[in-house]
Amino acid sequence: MAGGAPVIVDPERGAEERGAALERGVAWLAATDHKKTAAKVGVASLFFFLLSGLLALTMRAELAQPGLQFVSDHTYDELFTMHGSGMIYLFLTPAALGLGLYLVPLQVGAAEIAAPRLALFGFWLYLCGGIAMYSGFLTNNGAGSDTWTATIPLSNSSGTPGVGMDLWVIGVGLAVFGSLAIAVTILLTILRLRAPGMTMLRLPVFTWTMLATTFMVVASFPVLVVAMGLLLAERHLGGVFTGSTGSVVYQHLFWFYGHPVVYVMFFPFVGAVAESVATFSRKRFFGYRALIVSLLFFTALSMAVWGHHMFITGAVKNQYYSLTSTMLAVPAGIEYLDLIGTMVGGAIVFRAPMLFALGFITQFLIGGLTGIIVASPPLDYHVNGSYFVVAHFHYTLFAGSLFGLLAGFHYWWPKATGAMLRERLSKASFWVLVLGANLTFFPMFFLGYDGMPRRVADYEPKFGDLNLLSSIGAGVIALGILMVLVNMVISLRRRVPAGNDPWGAQTLEWWTSSPPPRDNFTSLPEITSYAPLLDRREREEEAAAGGGGRAAEVPA
Amino acid sequence: MSGGPRGGGGPLLAWACLLLALGTMLAIWSEGSDSAALFLVGAVPLLLTSAWNRARPARGGPRLLARVSVPVVVIAIGAGLAAIGFTAGLWLGLIGGEIVLFGLVWLGREVALERRAVGR
Amino acid sequence: MASTRSDFGSVWSLYLWIGVGVAAVVLGAVAFTLVRYRARPGRTVSKVAERNVLEITVASLILAIVALLVFRTFHTEAKEDDSSRPDAVRIDVDAFQWGWKFTYPGQGVTVIGNSNREPNFAVPAGRPISFALTSSDVIHAMWIPGQRFKRDAIPGRVNYFDLEFDEDGREQGLCSEFCGLRHSNMHFGVWVLSNESYERWLAAHQ
Repeated sequence: MAGGAPVIVDPERGAEERGAALERGVAWLAATDHKKTAAKVGVASLFFFLLSGLLALTMRAELAQPGLQFVSDHTYDELFTMHGSGMIYLFLTPAALGLGLYLVPLQVGAAEIAAPRLALFGFWLYLCGGIAMYSGFLTNNGAGSDTWTATIPLSNSSGTPGVGMDLWVIGVGLAVFGSLAIAVTILLTILRLRAPGMTMLRLPVFTWTMLATTFMVVASFPVLVVAMGLLLAERHLGGVFTGSTGSVVYQHLFWFYGHPVVYVMFFPFVGAVAESVATFSRKRFFGYRALIVSLLFFTALSMAVWGHHMFITGAVKNQYYSLTSTMLAVPAGIEYLDLIGTMVGGAIVFRAPMLFALGFITQFLIGGLTGIIVASPPLDYHVNGSYFVVAHFHYTLFAGSLFGLLAGFHYWWPKATGAMLRERLSKASFWVLVLGANLTFFPMFFLGYDGMPRRVADYEPKFGDLNLLSSIGAGVIALGILMVLVNMVISLRRRVPAGNDPWGAQTLEWWTSSPPPRDNFTSLPEITSYAPLLDRREREEEAAAGGGGRAAEVPA
Repeated sequence: MSGGPRGGGGPLLAWACLLLALGTMLAIWSEGSDSAALFLVGAVPLLLTSAWNRARPARGGPRLLARVSVPVVVIAIGAGLAAIGFTAGLWLGLIGGEIVLFGLVWLGREVALERRAVGR
Repeated sequence: MASTRSDFGSVWSLYLWIGVGVAAVVLGAVAFTLVRYRARPGRTVSKVAERNVLEITVASLILAIVALLVFRTFHTEAKEDDSSRPDAVRIDVDAFQWGWKFTYPGQGVTVIGNSNREPNFAVPAGRPISFALTSSDVIHAMWIPGQRFKRDAIPGRVNYFDLEFDEDGREQGLCSEFCGLRHSNMHFGVWVLSNESYERWLAAHQ
């Protein structure tokens, strides 16, 4: 079967499913095609992104001036809780895994994900969880209101009473379990369903980042599900997190998941950035083996740093966590070296995905370096719980990961839909988002350093000016997001066909049609490296040129 | 080495070992803090996956796949309802549980029918 | 013992300038690369796909910087976490929803206040103050930005730490761990007084 596509045996039930619109709707909702499941994950996560984003805009409207103008203290508590929870549990984590769910089978030459029913199940569990969490807003005491971490004892039934908080706990458990299920299918696909010739050392960079991501998910997500179960028991039965150590035990259980999850929301997008950079530098990715080693160390280390969220508790071995957290700089530096090395010697073309990738590279740097700062306990003793930390993680997650997601989005949208986005609108939205992100989050470093705590609806008058600046920035972000949405609609309404490979890319997903057929491939090229299409082009050029020479001529 | 059904577990095992090493380091440095046990908890599902992957190699060749699986959706929604029953009340938990059971039976029949249709 | 503020300051400067330096190098490299390797007609693409010596060199360099930062951090942290001065003024702090209680054990002085009335307690300048911090209900955190220091107030647990206030005047303090409805209204003040003023304050509050 070398070089050919695997044959799928599928009992013919299509005739019954076609026909009535209801049956077609059912077919869409219950389709097991990993591309369709991933599309559902994408749509749901976009929905939760917009919802949680609206909450952020409300918060920024309140914070634009000192004093309480629009919302009460309790409502504000619900707003920041559901904003953070929505973004982490319901948007960025599922989106990261959904990206892998769509792409990994294509990148490894498989016809379908491993255990497609499990992936479908995972999506629906996640959706149920999200609906449960947000329906808390309809209850008496409102939605969950004890931050995205729900620290004991505040999160017990006397600290945060009400059904809304219960729904939050249950919803988080469901959403995280669903995400875990999806990650398992991705892991199994990489282990078991690679096409002939696709050895582990020929996996594309994005697939390697997904593999490392699934390791973290499988290791840490179950602990969170258990923690939520215990929290629910604490709320209804009591006696779970007891004694002088109960609240600390909860934090250990939570943060053991709570730190790796931010890397789950990072690595797939680093992979997307790597693919974009390679494609638009017209070179294969630089330092492939070094990257693999650094990925394994980076993700393993990320499992060992969670105590840095607990530096000020006095209850953990600060030195250990400070060491592991600061050491993250080493693999991170290798990844930056490899990204830059990919561009060096290349022929860089500034298409929209490349812009977003460069935005990721430059902006994440600020988030990462400020992360090294908070990895030092003496420094964390000042800035923990302040807007400095808020700035740090918005630089990594928004100015970093979201830009990486947008790079992947602009890069792979033509593959998934068969239609091109509008290049000028894409680039314009990029610049708007760069302005918005930096205007919103950079002032927060100063606010935190000067003493403004996080999770407050009101603040001292001296913090007013920077807060106003930040709120204006939030409006700019909203505009940028709107531009992306408009771009999506225009792309689908007035289709410009993409063809198999609009970018001149390197990996297997670009071999097949856009969108790919049900079974992904009707044929496969020879797989000779992690950039099989680039290999093919280089062989063809060498054959055409009569062989010889180290460099490849690049079309203008 | 071709992309064989047995291969691929190397990085997973290496990673699990890194995890155990980091956990041992914490256990020593913190003089036996219980929190170091979390590293074991993290490594176990990975080691189990690795063992399963080696024990049951992927069958290679044609795979049996459904196009649509409604019972899976039913099970998920039932599980969601049952979970919400923890706060809404036993009545919802029972309804959700019943839906899950119904879905499981349906799924079993769906898989059995598929296998029979293919002659397995 | 130097104050936490000055300890913080020297570590902060080290981290900040190294961070700025790294950012300058990386951003400079990116900017240079984008200009130098722009696609131009006839540009040939290099086929170099790995340089392991470079990777190891860069990793070693970063590791060296990490070692420097970590050693400096460990050194300062040992100072800040140490709380064993026998001649220190002792103050017990009890955080609660949504205020603070400051007790001077052995002196018969207690100051208490909440969101309606901000409590202020006094300390003598230039002497170590030993705090014993706990909470009566949920987790709070005692943050004095001017001291560049905070600690969690955890129910069932006492956190000990020393601070030294250098300049006379008033320092603002606040809760920095989300603790419910009036978290944003949980302030307190520290009067830093000369020794004589401090003794007079104690006497007045007994």
